[in-house]
Amino acid sequence: MSETTEVPKPIPEPDDESRPFWEGTLEGKLLLMKCSDCGEFRIPSRQHCDNCLSDNYTWAESSGRGVVRSLGVMHQKYHPAFEPEIPYTLAMVELEEGPRMPTNIVELNGREVQVGMPVEVTWERHEDVAVPKFRPR
Amino acid sequence: MTTPTMDASTERHLRDKYAIVGVGETTYTRGSGRTTRALGTWAIKNAMEDAGMGPGDIDGMLSYSNNDSTPSPMLAGDLGIRLNFYMDVYGGGSSTEALIGIAIGVIEAGMCNTVAIFRSMNGYSQVRIGGTGARAAAPVSGDALHARTYGWMSAGQNFSQSFMRHMYDYGTTPEQLAMVKVIHSEHASNNPKAYYKQRYTVDDVVNSRFIVKPLHLLDCCVETDNATAIIVTRADRAYDWRHTPARILSVVGRCCKPRIDMHYQHGPISTVAGHYAKDILWPNAGVGPTDVDVTGSYDAFTFTTMLQLEDYGFCKKGEGGDYVSSGAMRLGGERPNNTSGGHLCEGYTHGMNMVIENVRQLRGDVDDYCPQGPDGKRQHTFDYNEGKCRQVNDVGITANLGWAMPGTGSAMVMRKG
Repeated sequence: MSETTEVPKPIPEPDDESRPFWEGTLEGKLLLMKCSDCGEFRIPSRQHCDNCLSDNYTWAESSGRGVVRSLGVMHQKYHPAFEPEIPYTLAMVELEEGPRMPTNIVELNGREVQVGMPVEVTWERHEDVAVPKFRPR
Repeated sequence: MTTPTMDASTERHLRDKYAIVGVGETTYTRGSGRTTRALGTWAIKNAMEDAGMGPGDIDGMLSYSNNDSTPSPMLAGDLGIRLNFYMDVYGGGSSTEALIGIAIGVIEAGMCNTVAIFRSMNGYSQVRIGGTGARAAAPVSGDALHARTYGWMSAGQNFSQSFMRHMYDYGTTPEQLAMVKVIHSEHASNNPKAYYKQRYTVDDVVNSRFIVKPLHLLDCCVETDNATAIIVTRADRAYDWRHTPARILSVVGRCCKPRIDMHYQHGPISTVAGHYAKDILWPNAGVGPTDVDVTGSYDAFTFTTMLQLEDYGFCKKGEGGDYVSSGAMRLGGERPNNTSGGHLCEGYTHGMNMVIENVRQLRGDVDDYCPQGPDGKRQHTFDYNEGKCRQVNDVGITANLGWAMPGTGSAMVMRKG
């Protein structure tokens, strides 16, 4: 079979727990869960704070700024939807609020991603969600 | 967050009380043309013959898989074994040592007497761990939101974060890591069963294409079809069988870093589970790294071998690059590692072939290209040149360091019986 089929990227499907996060993405807000009892931030969606076990939380907006804690650069063809982006960077970004978030570093304009690189959130828009990615700042 | 720690100061009642008495495997292939059921019975039957056991001598069975194998009851039925106990668990790497611990527990509880543990997989022709087949297109749900959405799906991708951070923290170089492949390929070249027997150089490794940086193609293990099996029983019954038993001094099973679902959230990213597991492994065994003659540090990637040797204390933290490139791990070196060629060269079994290898090293009876004596056994020359010997001289103690992922590991120390 020489004919190719368009495979879409895997797009998140919001559920009741994560819906506030994904609604925020459409407004350009990176929302974190903030524990109402100890103030610890966490990435969604976790029912309990792993610091104090409280399940009281509010949604709080992150500054969207962080630094790269580690990374890998994907060269292998794997999921067909990501092939056009090869090589693409998989990174662990530590946000100013504390949590570490798996993501991609984009808009590199030829720059190489380094551990410690300061980055800020940027959005990959889809129909009903936007996916938070990061770019050098 | 407080982390419970093992009280390793109490008397270790089970130290040295259990043993591995039989080991077996199929051929390592790509394209077995057989079911995991057929591969599994082939490997278990080989382990039974190795021990000199018949179907009535085994009454327990354990296996692990990622839903890519055949459950114990079918294999037992095919082999004429009536089971008093069985359990088939989910999991891949690091399961072997964990299941040996479970086998010890169920025998100790009086639930059965002798347990056969197997892993059967068509890791090349069916479910590939590298995941370039059907797994790549699985749907996004639950926690996959934080991974698949970013094109982040494979073991190599997940682990790359730990590997890259180690290079950043300690100045570890690609050339140092390449030596793991070089050394394991030397060992495989003396192993008639190894799938890849070719020797590689550092240049071969660092000039191979990137899979996910910092991993080159030759930093990654092979994908093969095969089954492997080992038989565990009590030490007081271990001398009824054909070979000198490999006695178990201690086991650690799936020991974890904090917050294992997102291990990179806590502590140094370049620290792996061995940092915690070592505090169970060595006190329970009553020996330490310097007492070990041969290691089996899981080589899903060149980096996994290094990170574990470092965190289990075979060298200082941060000096893993020096250790793996020093020649210590080479046959003829201070403490050879993965003398069969391991996952990088012999075949991929989710860890069991490294335990099998160490059992044979303890017996002094690995298969290689040495001349055979009248009894059919190899008369080892300890000449480690290509196509020669791979038996280490006078092995007393071995350590297996099993890897599931940066945050989870298992381990086992054995001694010659």
